[in-house]
Amino acid sequence: MTQFRKYGVQDLLEGYQRKEFKPSEVVAACLGAIEAGNPGSNSLLEIRPEAALARAKELEGRASDMAKLPLYGVPVALKDNILVKGWKTTAGSKILEHYVSPYTGTCAERLEAAGAIVLAKANCDEFAMGSSNENSAFGAVKNPWDLERVSGGSSGGSAASVAAGFVPGSLGTDTGGSIRQPASLCGVVGIKPTYGRVSRFGVIAFASSLDQVGPFGRSVWDAARMLEVISGYDAKDATSSRGVVPRFTEALSNSSVESLRNVTIGVAPEWMEGLDSEVKASYEASLSQLKALGAKVQEVKLPHAKYALSVYYLIAASEASSNLARYDGVHYGRRTPEAKGLEELYSKSRGEGFGREVKLRIMLGTYALSAGYYDAYYVKANQVRRLIQKDFEEAFAKCQCIAVPTAPSTAFRLGEKIEDPLTMYLSDIFTLPINLAGLPALSVPSGLDSKKLPVGLQLIGKHFDEAQILHIAAAYEKSRGPLPFAPWKGGTV
Amino acid sequence: MFSREEILRVAKLARLDLSSHEVERYQKQLGRVLEYVKELEALDLEEGSVKHVPRDAVAFRGDTVMAFLNTQGILGNAPSLHDGGFSIPTVVEHE
Amino acid sequence: MSLESAYEPVIGLEVHAQLLTKSKMFCSCANSFSGGINTLICPVCTGQPGALPVINQAAIELGIRAAVATQSTIHAESIFARKNYFYPDLPKGYQISQYEAPYCTGGKIETVLKTGEIKWVGLTRIHFEEDAGKSIHGPYGTEVNLNRAGVPLIEMVSEPDMRSSHEAGQYLRAVHSILKFAGICDGNMDEGSFRCDANVSVRPRGQTKFGTKVELKNINSFRYVEKAIDFEIQRQIDCLERGEPLVQETRSWNSAKGITEPMRAKEQAHDYRYFPEPDLPVLHIAPSWVEKVAAELPELPSAKRARFKAEYSLGDYDAGVLTASKELSVYFEEVAALSRNAKAAVNWIANELLGRLNAVGKEIDASPVSVAHLTALISAVESGRISGKIAKVVFDEMFQTGKDPESIIAEKGLVQISDPKALEEVVRKIVESNPSQAADYRAGKVKLFAFFIGQAMKETKGQANPALLNELVKKVLGG
Repeated sequence: MTQFRKYGVQDLLEGYQRKEFKPSEVVAACLGAIEAGNPGSNSLLEIRPEAALARAKELEGRASDMAKLPLYGVPVALKDNILVKGWKTTAGSKILEHYVSPYTGTCAERLEAAGAIVLAKANCDEFAMGSSNENSAFGAVKNPWDLERVSGGSSGGSAASVAAGFVPGSLGTDTGGSIRQPASLCGVVGIKPTYGRVSRFGVIAFASSLDQVGPFGRSVWDAARMLEVISGYDAKDATSSRGVVPRFTEALSNSSVESLRNVTIGVAPEWMEGLDSEVKASYEASLSQLKALGAKVQEVKLPHAKYALSVYYLIAASEASSNLARYDGVHYGRRTPEAKGLEELYSKSRGEGFGREVKLRIMLGTYALSAGYYDAYYVKANQVRRLIQKDFEEAFAKCQCIAVPTAPSTAFRLGEKIEDPLTMYLSDIFTLPINLAGLPALSVPSGLDSKKLPVGLQLIGKHFDEAQILHIAAAYEKSRGPLPFAPWKGGTV
Repeated sequence: MFSREEILRVAKLARLDLSSHEVERYQKQLGRVLEYVKELEALDLEEGSVKHVPRDAVAFRGDTVMAFLNTQGILGNAPSLHDGGFSIPTVVEHE
Repeated sequence: MSLESAYEPVIGLEVHAQLLTKSKMFCSCANSFSGGINTLICPVCTGQPGALPVINQAAIELGIRAAVATQSTIHAESIFARKNYFYPDLPKGYQISQYEAPYCTGGKIETVLKTGEIKWVGLTRIHFEEDAGKSIHGPYGTEVNLNRAGVPLIEMVSEPDMRSSHEAGQYLRAVHSILKFAGICDGNMDEGSFRCDANVSVRPRGQTKFGTKVELKNINSFRYVEKAIDFEIQRQIDCLERGEPLVQETRSWNSAKGITEPMRAKEQAHDYRYFPEPDLPVLHIAPSWVEKVAAELPELPSAKRARFKAEYSLGDYDAGVLTASKELSVYFEEVAALSRNAKAAVNWIANELLGRLNAVGKEIDASPVSVAHLTALISAVESGRISGKIAKVVFDEMFQTGKDPESIIAEKGLVQISDPKALEEVVRKIVESNPSQAADYRAGKVKLFAFFIGQAMKETKGQANPALLNELVKKVLGG
């Protein structure tokens, strides 16, 4: 049974095709791995074994539909800010600890319609705010490569559960790096699609103009398959794009992925300050590899990228302060037992229900939008955001993809940065500008550092050109060769 | 560094009940973050540049009624329900 | 100089009108006043985590109609904004509205004053927003019903152009009738689909600077708007006369006491923290869309008034009365067309029907006298089957019972006597039994003519054809 732990989405689909095993066997194996490993890693919250097994059996009865279902029998975990009717959705917060979803989000609906089996909800930083998954009300997620270290965040549970082999694929959300950074720290592939590519309906909002749902997988193909299933216009999200979604996996299998002869990759040396030396070495090695595959490397300038952190925190916090106003103890969610009057009901329910990082950002956003400060902060930040977008537009006139490290360092120790928000925020300097510009980007593992911790390479694409970065990532992945699996930290399965 | 009064003003606006320990923490942390974002002040921006980030996808909904079938799922999450209404302590003032 | 004339009131009104869509502004729940508590709700309008708004096209179209009807400027691009505040009937903690960039600015409303004078009141802006839910205050606390949450509204903000409660009342009536005529809003003030707040200030006459503004709420009827404004004007003048400063505040109209009262002061000033709604794209309204809506725009009250005057030769007064509501104008035009007698239609409706409806507190759409019945009555008079006098009797009966005039005429035997032989017989009898009056008449006392007519009418229970009777009385007396 253990072998299923290492099976990716593509492996499972091929195995089912060849009738080597059945969904219920795979689900049972995943559940076994979870039972053994999850207490140590804390990457999954609600797990529904019976429902998953029933669903697997149901799919077995529809084996003839296999060809029509692009994720037939694939067990998945969803970040716990994605709603599935009847499941708890907590967003990693005490304020939603007992909230039961009255409806299903579009991305989850599409996964299920494609034959996937939702097995569990994945732990995350509270309301997707964090870079280490230490802000979850339900405990930090530990990195499968080293349980003393963080998984990254905020989609830490989604990344760690794929790295640990609990599920072959998962969904996360990315507002400033929350898919790519944990993917990098956990050694898996994570994609943040173009803003508007995937519906946000049924995904708990952090910062509406930046949030995007995306997949995690252990290979580029696996993540691409999930991406093509969840992408596409949704009438329930007014910001979702009507653009046609390419069949990403088809392109990966058809094209000669080895060749990058017609590809120019942009690099931005001025952006590379404060980089860990081992990450830098890995990044340079990756560039050489891409060159060896035929890619040309071209320097580009992103003069305003250095302002991304300031811009991001003002915009994200402003939007969040408004998005999180609905958690007020009136219609759902935690209500303080001690309220005398309405005002106390509000401030105590919220004061007790939110964690410290969430409160900090609500405070920051409320302040930035308040009378007398709006122009100096919110408006100004949006003006600079436009400059960052322009930088990318100009850069992409010269290249099809920009390559940077995903995170400035590999997984850091639990507790190392938690007391200092600004230091923590700096974990995201290479990912934030991409959300501000609405561009697609992915993180693909580029090896291990001397501490045997994964390093990630980030590939940034043009708007709605996920196909291009997937193509480059697949070529890179192939030439890089297989990476070791995360060392097993559970009991014996 | 933020003044205590300023933190309390913002906390009130955000309806966050903060302990005195939290007030102190946010005085420091908010102060540091705002110190950091000061870098934007130095940027010379052209007059009248966009305030809003424009996006193109305009999508309207047709005017058709489609009842949501799981209203019980919504009401089931209410912390307090009375006669079918979300129940709260009596409110006098109104917006 | 009286105090009233030493001060000049300055009044502006803010109208909130629910749009006549089938579904809500941002979700597919029914836009309906009926429905059990919290039955017309969904994840979007209850602000569930993860729910997103999608704009109802019909709401925008009705908004465009309102803009065209008020000669406003429509902006090709406008932006939705979040107005952030905490309130139990506001489940998201913000209301989606428009702030810096409304879809429509700079309109005007033709307001007819009691002097017959026309005053154009400026419209600063119209913008879209969503309604909040409703709080029901009960003995155990407050219960929130979200059926109304997310119902589409337009807010119409006037310029501070009005100078008396009468002007404000007439402006509000004009706005109300435009919205109803154009099918934008049902105008129901009792159910709250048409609501109004007033901004009132006074200043010494001749001063150009505005005085301290007070916002009046809870004035949801035409009568209360005028009463509340009058009260408030007087209160402010009294205050100034006593040398007390006026406070900028929100006051609520207490209709039971007939006074305005300060609303409980919030502990801090509002800070709505408006910012562009990131869940909604820029609202594009193409000129072609505006043209299409303008072409389909129903006739509005002022145009209808002008047409009625020209087409039916009506005076200002009758034209005003018959265009007071869309339903009334439709009723009139149908009767006029079917009876081919507009003059009679005006008389019956303006002089008889409306008074009776008013007395029983009914609107025209609840009139017991239908268009068909009134038309039948008019033709019964025209054809001479009944006299005008009898017609009023029949009309009374029609109004009370809802029956058609023909059956009333038949049941009560009210058909006019137009048979010359039968009528001549009646006249001869009367002349014979009143020989002295007949002699006096013949001797030149022509005033007695009316006596014979009256006697004949009495004899025939008013059913004699008046023209024929005239002729016959002359003939018999003269003969």
